[in-house]
Amino acid sequence: MTEEPAEEAAVEQTNEDVRFDEASPVTGASRIEAAYSADDTGQASVAKPGASGQVFTQTYLPWTGTLNPRWARNYAVYRHHMLGLVKSGHRPWPILVRVYLVLVLIGSIGDIFPVLLGSLFGDGLGQVFMVSRDSLYAHVLGFFPRNVLYYPVVTALIVGTMISEDRLNGTSALYFSRPITRFDYVAMKYLAAATVLFILCVFSLFVYYTVEVLAMGRGWAWIVDTFPILLGATAAGMLLVVTYTSLGLAMSSVSTNGFFPAIGLLALVLGSKSVAFLVALIFEQDVLYLFSPYDALANVGQALVGTESNYEIPWTWSLASVVGMNVLSLYLLANRVASMEVTRE
Amino acid sequence: MVEGRAPIVHTKALTKAYGEHVALNALDLQIKAGATGLLGANGAGKSTLLKTLLGLIQVTSGEGHVLGHDIRTEGPSIRQRIGYMPEYEALDPRMDGIHQVRYAGELLGMNPVVAMQRAHQCLEYVGLGEQRYRQIDGYSTGMRQATKLACAIVHDPEMIIADEPSNGLDAAARDFMLQTLDTTVRNGQRSVLMASHLMDDVEQVCERIVLLHKGRLVAEGKIEDLKAIDREYEVHVWGAADAMERGMLDRGLRVRRQGRIMRVADDRDDVPREVLEVAASTGAQVRRLHTYEASLEDLFIAIMERLGHDVKSSEDLLAGGGMG
Repeated sequence: MTEEPAEEAAVEQTNEDVRFDEASPVTGASRIEAAYSADDTGQASVAKPGASGQVFTQTYLPWTGTLNPRWARNYAVYRHHMLGLVKSGHRPWPILVRVYLVLVLIGSIGDIFPVLLGSLFGDGLGQVFMVSRDSLYAHVLGFFPRNVLYYPVVTALIVGTMISEDRLNGTSALYFSRPITRFDYVAMKYLAAATVLFILCVFSLFVYYTVEVLAMGRGWAWIVDTFPILLGATAAGMLLVVTYTSLGLAMSSVSTNGFFPAIGLLALVLGSKSVAFLVALIFEQDVLYLFSPYDALANVGQALVGTESNYEIPWTWSLASVVGMNVLSLYLLANRVASMEVTRE
Repeated sequence: MVEGRAPIVHTKALTKAYGEHVALNALDLQIKAGATGLLGANGAGKSTLLKTLLGLIQVTSGEGHVLGHDIRTEGPSIRQRIGYMPEYEALDPRMDGIHQVRYAGELLGMNPVVAMQRAHQCLEYVGLGEQRYRQIDGYSTGMRQATKLACAIVHDPEMIIADEPSNGLDAAARDFMLQTLDTTVRNGQRSVLMASHLMDDVEQVCERIVLLHKGRLVAEGKIEDLKAIDREYEVHVWGAADAMERGMLDRGLRVRRQGRIMRVADDRDDVPREVLEVAASTGAQVRRLHTYEASLEDLFIAIMERLGHDVKSSEDLLAGGGMG
């Protein structure tokens, strides 16, 4: 609604009504009017603001486009979380998280640099860092720094707020009042978190292997020899990605803030490892390693890659433990997401 | 108006129970196109009805259709054609308005570029054109409500469910929100189902109401029809008010009195003449006599207090002589 005639009338009325002469009271308002708006005859030409009305016309515009099917909606959720890491307008990740991810990415592909140096200066220098059973295992499951500073911390930072913030902000209503099923919601968030971990852990493993092949000029015989080890390390890496993501999302789903899930995940991974280690050291009992996500993964990983095992418990038990952890986490996650409300949280 | 089209919501014996607690009790409901207010006290079943209509919860028994889709099996299809504006916070405070609305469109299956274009249109429509690049964290309550409405209409739904749209708004923001909903119905030819505790808001936007109480339908129909059940004459009396009240009661008129103001039920022919006769016989001065139209709030109280919970429609209310 525009109110132009009313405003014009207000201007005219002001011109007629407001006059300045010797008797005019010298107030702040009249001084301002006299200074800026009075003409030679002392008449003010001050427009009064319109008493009512809006400065735009409110018109409902229809939209005749077509809505895409389920895959597009799911991709939107995935895209929202992934693109938010690199550009604005999507899920706003804190700058510190982004910086940390960059540092971890550099750190996780860090083992290509000794390989490159080795290719320049001869085998002697890079021997320790070149692709072998132990180095492939270490790339995925090495405790320090990767499973202390990299992967659990990244998982905590990425996954910690993923579901809890929807509870906190009520944004779950934004998803569930639309044709997004709870399975799609969880699956896409899971996939987004797992993708980040996958890039840091498994993709960097392939980068490392490829750089070795190219830089050292490895032939088919070498590739045939080492490729099964690479596949074993990949499987171990995938198991790590899945398990950490499941544990992290389960933690996130039981909270309304990002702190508890993050600390909880770190306590679970690193705390259980420390307790199991101390119990094994003092009481010579290895059974607690079964309940430590890292140790269970490491035991299975050592079997998959074929390195010498550090554990006395069979790797199949550890595998069962890893499967159990995932099942429990996903059960908790499904239950908690099922309880998320649209009308009230 | 979009009057005359087929019902957009239709339920038959719709029942939802949580254990022994029956949240919706054999609800037979027909909501026509246009603006409809959903009224009811806390615990009346409004939220359960909304969740049921959105196809989010399984009904215990009965059936229902929204825009032709079965609420038991076609939840995603319903939610694709409905715009839902939640009562509570549903926005990411760290995002800016434009991208929040764009994302809401993407979640419905809109192409990102198209969703962005449409987000601009919708935010302009709800009065946030100049504020759309601001972070939601810095929005006022009115701006947040407007953003939620923009999220709800981004895909131009046939029906908008607005849950307490004026919740927490100041007078100006409330007026604008109600005006926007009204424009959506009148100018946009869209339907609005508006749940609210505020009778004035419902009356301003809606032509019809659905009134729930303890999971049961107590009234539905046009507001003006429902108001007819509680039409009264208001009489301002000076002197001999007690005698006049007694005289009217003796004649069988139904009178409510507060001091010198009396309200006499218009439930038979020529009530004004009888009032004046009583005044003449008792010597009371009638300073003013006029018809009194009940507000929606009066109507709500009248229905809840006087008519019980078995009345189903305005026709029933009128036929039942519900003033008893």
